[in-house]
Amino acid sequence: MTPPLLEVSGLTKRFGGLVAVKNLGFSIAAGEILGLIGPNGSGKSTAMKLIMGIERANIGSVRLAGREIVSWPTHRIARAGIGLVFQHSRPLHRQTVLENIKLALLPDSLFQLAAERSVDAKARAIGERVGLGAVLDRHPTTLPFADLRRMELAKAIARDPEVVLVDEPFAGLTLAEVESFSALIRSFREEGKAVLLVDHNVKGVAALVDRVLAMYLGERIAEGQADAVMRDETVRRVYLGGAIETHARAIAPEKSGVPLLKVTDLSVFYGKAQALERVALEVHEREFVSVVGLNGAGKTTLFNAISGLVPYAGAIEWRGGALAGKTPAAIARGGIAQCPETRELFGDMSVQENLDLGGQHQPPAERAARLIWLYDLFPILKSRSKQLARTLSGGEQQMLAIARALMMNPSLLILDEPTLGLAPVILEQLSKALERLRETTSITVLLGEQNVTFALPHADRVYVLEHARIIWQGPPDRFAAEAGAGYL
Amino acid sequence: MRIVTALIILLALASLPFWVSAYILAVLTVAYYFGVFAMAWDLLFGFAGEVNFGPTFLIGLGAYSAGLLDNHGVPVWLCVIAGALAAVIGGFVLALPALRLRGPYFGLITLVAVLVLQQVIVIFAGVTGGEIGLTINDVLSVDSGHNYWLALAFLVISGLILYSFSRSAAGLILQACGQDAIEAQALGFNVAKHKLAAFAVSALFSGLAGAMLVFYLGTASVDTVVDISVGVQIIIAAVLGGRRTIVGAAIGAVFLIVAGEILRPLGQLNTFVVSAIALVVILFFPDGLVGYLLRRGERA
Amino acid sequence: MRGLQILVDGFAISTLYALGAIGFSLIFGVSGVLNLAHGGIMVAAAVAAWYIAGPLGAGQYVGALAGVGCGIIAAFATYGLVVRPIQRSRAIPRDETEIFVLTATLLWGIMIQEAIAYFFTDSPITVRPLINGVVDIFGVRTPANEILTAAICWVSIGLLWLLVNRTRAGKTLLAASINPRGLTLLGFELSSVYLLVWAIYGVLAAIAGVLLAMFLGTSSNNIGVLTASAFSIVVLGGLGSVSGSLIAAYIIGYLETVTAYLISPTLRTIPSLLLLVLVVYLRPQGLFGRR
Repeated sequence: MTPPLLEVSGLTKRFGGLVAVKNLGFSIAAGEILGLIGPNGSGKSTAMKLIMGIERANIGSVRLAGREIVSWPTHRIARAGIGLVFQHSRPLHRQTVLENIKLALLPDSLFQLAAERSVDAKARAIGERVGLGAVLDRHPTTLPFADLRRMELAKAIARDPEVVLVDEPFAGLTLAEVESFSALIRSFREEGKAVLLVDHNVKGVAALVDRVLAMYLGERIAEGQADAVMRDETVRRVYLGGAIETHARAIAPEKSGVPLLKVTDLSVFYGKAQALERVALEVHEREFVSVVGLNGAGKTTLFNAISGLVPYAGAIEWRGGALAGKTPAAIARGGIAQCPETRELFGDMSVQENLDLGGQHQPPAERAARLIWLYDLFPILKSRSKQLARTLSGGEQQMLAIARALMMNPSLLILDEPTLGLAPVILEQLSKALERLRETTSITVLLGEQNVTFALPHADRVYVLEHARIIWQGPPDRFAAEAGAGYL
Repeated sequence: MRIVTALIILLALASLPFWVSAYILAVLTVAYYFGVFAMAWDLLFGFAGEVNFGPTFLIGLGAYSAGLLDNHGVPVWLCVIAGALAAVIGGFVLALPALRLRGPYFGLITLVAVLVLQQVIVIFAGVTGGEIGLTINDVLSVDSGHNYWLALAFLVISGLILYSFSRSAAGLILQACGQDAIEAQALGFNVAKHKLAAFAVSALFSGLAGAMLVFYLGTASVDTVVDISVGVQIIIAAVLGGRRTIVGAAIGAVFLIVAGEILRPLGQLNTFVVSAIALVVILFFPDGLVGYLLRRGERA
Repeated sequence: MRGLQILVDGFAISTLYALGAIGFSLIFGVSGVLNLAHGGIMVAAAVAAWYIAGPLGAGQYVGALAGVGCGIIAAFATYGLVVRPIQRSRAIPRDETEIFVLTATLLWGIMIQEAIAYFFTDSPITVRPLINGVVDIFGVRTPANEILTAAICWVSIGLLWLLVNRTRAGKTLLAASINPRGLTLLGFELSSVYLLVWAIYGVLAAIAGVLLAMFLGTSSNNIGVLTASAFSIVVLGGLGSVSGSLIAAYIIGYLETVTAYLISPTLRTIPSLLLLVLVVYLRPQGLFGRR
């Protein structure tokens, strides 16, 4: 057995009170690809930064071929043989693609005025290898997104590291592009490099990796072969929740007339990366619609487009009228309240003040009545009404965010990933509150979730979003049979 | 093609002493020294990514060190070198906070550095001449043509050195450090080392130009080489000409000084008009003159 | 005796500094803009008050009010003509907005300075005090106007505090400084929040400018120094922390007064500059700023 090239043990990183990475340990041998997966906020990116020395570990050890490097500065770690492929990069715009690759080949010297002749040929060869041969003399701003990612890969290859860390290798790429990237990453294995792939989910990297390590809330929850990790009880609970239940409503809401919200042919680009591709979706009055999809599938982008926060192509209609051209605030006042994934609370204001701001566009009587109703729906908020929002626990903050959105008396409530980073017992409380909301009010809800167990019980209809596209829609009771298998 | 155009322009500029007045030569001489100030600033801002609001801290150090030494009988060439060295030391002093602080904080430190220098000059008025200024006995040359050629040659040589540095391998690394320090480190570059070097080079040229300027003017005063408004003018020149181009900074400086001179008949209003023009350029052509031309070239 | 003198004079000057810097801090806190035309707005208000009260002969009360009006107009002009076009420009990269705002407001300040110098005067002006007479405070003869100045400053600061903490509009400002995106999602137009904060800023800067011109006199050549002192105080107190600015204003105000009385008036600003350098080196977030 070959000794491990990269050996991580006892790695811990705290940010203030938050433990981002807790006693993490793993090793990668030469010629091995390890997948490091976990949902947003699980600490996987922090772990990568700790290895690279971009963040300083509180305790723990990182060994490269037996040498302790945990306290080294980043540039020294890089020179020692670890390369990082960034997800987002800022290439040199005034320089050509070739010059950008050459940069990575330069020695760390102040007095290197002209690059050596061999550098040029080397850079060209690397460019050819990653498939940039035809665009080497163009400027990065003129390149499509996939080529920019190729350029980042080329820079990492140019450094010829023994260990390669790749951050979300396939985000924003089309299926064909994913194939060619996978081939490049496989070639690292053949060259005997140790590779760490960081990604949201097992599915994306399963075909590529030798082993997978799953993280949640900063800790390792499973490690092993990809299919074993996918079947792992804890992993499934983190991603999907427990067993899937559905409750069809006794009287299904009527789906006639003009839909409350109608999205047609919606496409969104972030720079050159496509985040949504021709998405179509309808929500009718009093319906509870869930959009399920893994992190990075495009749920948040969809909601932000509806709320007018990102520019888009296609049409979004609200009660039959187009929303395009309205400000996000006008859309919110028009009856679409979004409770975002990031919650966006006013941390230095009290619970009561947060709620008051939510109700400020309501008449005083209505505001007072809603406040009483919400304190009844979320009793914990009442007991915390004078406390600053940032001192609340994660679950309480989520309840406050939902309550604040409900203060606006919305016709449509958009809930983006409310379960993010919450413990199971909190999920249950949240789930009960949503159930009461559905039973006792006439509100329409559009819920975006990765956690299927949370998303399905309340839903009247379900959409599955994968890789920027809607790939399935139907009633929740058919989800398990038709879409459940391929989900994770 | 570009080289031919540049040579023709250069020859035309070099021939000016044969057919224009001493007054125009004097304006251009000062403009050329400002061109070097602006290029040195652009190296820090455009390439190392450091916003230095106090270029006059470096320039003033160079100017006053040279001037004071001259008053003690040190030969002119030695004074100029000493001025440059003093500025380099000042550059290191500025670089220390730059490596620790971000954005507005570093900007403030550079502003404060200028204010401190200004106060020190005023407090030690006995030595420095205070607000009236320091009279310098030696001059580079008494002939306006010679002074003009000297300034032009200095501008061209500095420009060539700074431009080649910016386009060299080390310049490429510096640019990467300025754009994204974390990525540059992950590529194995010691960002602190490269930024320190940029401060030293920028300070060297600022100090040299500052020292030579006082020997041309025959006086060193707070108003001409230290005041914040002088620094602002340098920054405006570099932004006007086009950030990250080096050459643009020099063109911007010459334009600014010449425009100020042409608008002199407006009296007190000329600064207003020049500032307004600069503001309009910043708002509508944020890439500056040379940047705008380059961008059009890239698209074509 | 002299200690008391320092205490009284230092209090008045510190209070003026505080009022001048709080508006600057407020704008930064709510909209993230460092307005380097700050001194320009103060002096524009002062010159308007002086011109209307003196040469136009409208009296000091009308003059003072006109000065405040002028300050609001100057603040709106700064926002509408300089800051907003940069924030909305597509040609300026997002991460360079800050340096463009700094450079453009600096230029705008110079334009205000030159316009005042050209159309009015560049020599020092003194606005006639609102009240005359001298009051004896434990043996220190203090102009009544100096006391009034401090009182007006404190009333203004108190009203600002009430506005921010006790009114709906104020709560909106506070919320915008904490989380602008959250506020948008609740249906508030950030553009109107920003207009409100620039209006408040204009009033505060104008009052500070007019009072300064009554107390010490001012001139268009002071614009740079006034901006620098507000900037320093705000950084010393911690960017965006209004209460930090308040405390920092007193530290700087007293440090300067003590230096001027006990060492030499020419050294007045040196210790505060050194303190600033020291604090920025050791604690870049300022004395009372949060990381």
